[in-house]
Amino acid sequence: MPSRKRDQKVATTEHARDNGRELPWAVVYYLTPEGAAPALEFLDACPSTIDAQFTAVLDAVAAAPPPRFSGGGKWEAMHGAMGGWYEIRLTGPGREQFRLFCLLENGTSGEIAKRGLPRPAIAVITGMRKPWRTTFSDRDYKRVRDLGTEHQRNYPRRLAT
Amino acid sequence: MDSQMLDVSLHERRRTRRLEDPEYRAAYEQAAREIAQTDAVIRALDALRIDLGVSKAELARRVNRNASSVRRLFTAGQVRPELPLIAAMADALGAELRVVPRTPQARRAVGEHPRQRRVAINA
Repeated sequence: MPSRKRDQKVATTEHARDNGRELPWAVVYYLTPEGAAPALEFLDACPSTIDAQFTAVLDAVAAAPPPRFSGGGKWEAMHGAMGGWYEIRLTGPGREQFRLFCLLENGTSGEIAKRGLPRPAIAVITGMRKPWRTTFSDRDYKRVRDLGTEHQRNYPRRLAT
Repeated sequence: MDSQMLDVSLHERRRTRRLEDPEYRAAYEQAAREIAQTDAVIRALDALRIDLGVSKAELARRVNRNASSVRRLFTAGQVRPELPLIAAMADALGAELRVVPRTPQARRAVGEHPRQRRVAINA
């Protein structure tokens, strides 16, 4: 009997194909219960060149999603309390640090459909920025995780459109 | 599209709109080229490793690294791959890294001045 892991892989592959061509994953933006899209608000407030670089990384990863190497070294799996999350790490003018926090929407075709998604996706949850050589606090990361938890509670997902 | 499915086209629509800004377009295209180069080098190394039947653990042994660091590298678990490690892995697989000047045609295609020196790194 095939393992569950194998089932997931097959289902995801089936879901991501169209006429034999593998489709890129979708990129979606979390919407809060109040109707805000934290990631879009963050991107809109970034310098234009940083916004462009975030978009280029998202497009590269969507075209060749995990577990493949993708994103030019700017896309990273997080660890510890942020396990299960991915971040895009960019350096801006004055070495300011920009981070975009994402979750993967993958699994069996049934699970993805239950979330209302037509195919696997990168869910962009929120972003943060900080001066060079400073760190985000535990509270900052908890805020990110809380948004992710809220996002994952929704069936179907609540997305910015 | 299934009527039950959510609209997931915002990202594409936003990108299309933002690309109308020349500064944004230039930054996007430059980032895309740089990302493609890095991804191509890492994937070429991984493909060569597989072709040669070398496990990630064996490759790690050959470059004096632990297996998890090599595994993380090939699965984007590690940000900003180090060039010395990439060069060591290429050497361990009987390959080498090269810096190849773009052809004038390719440089024109990306809007680069013909005299500007820019190089690509290939495995």
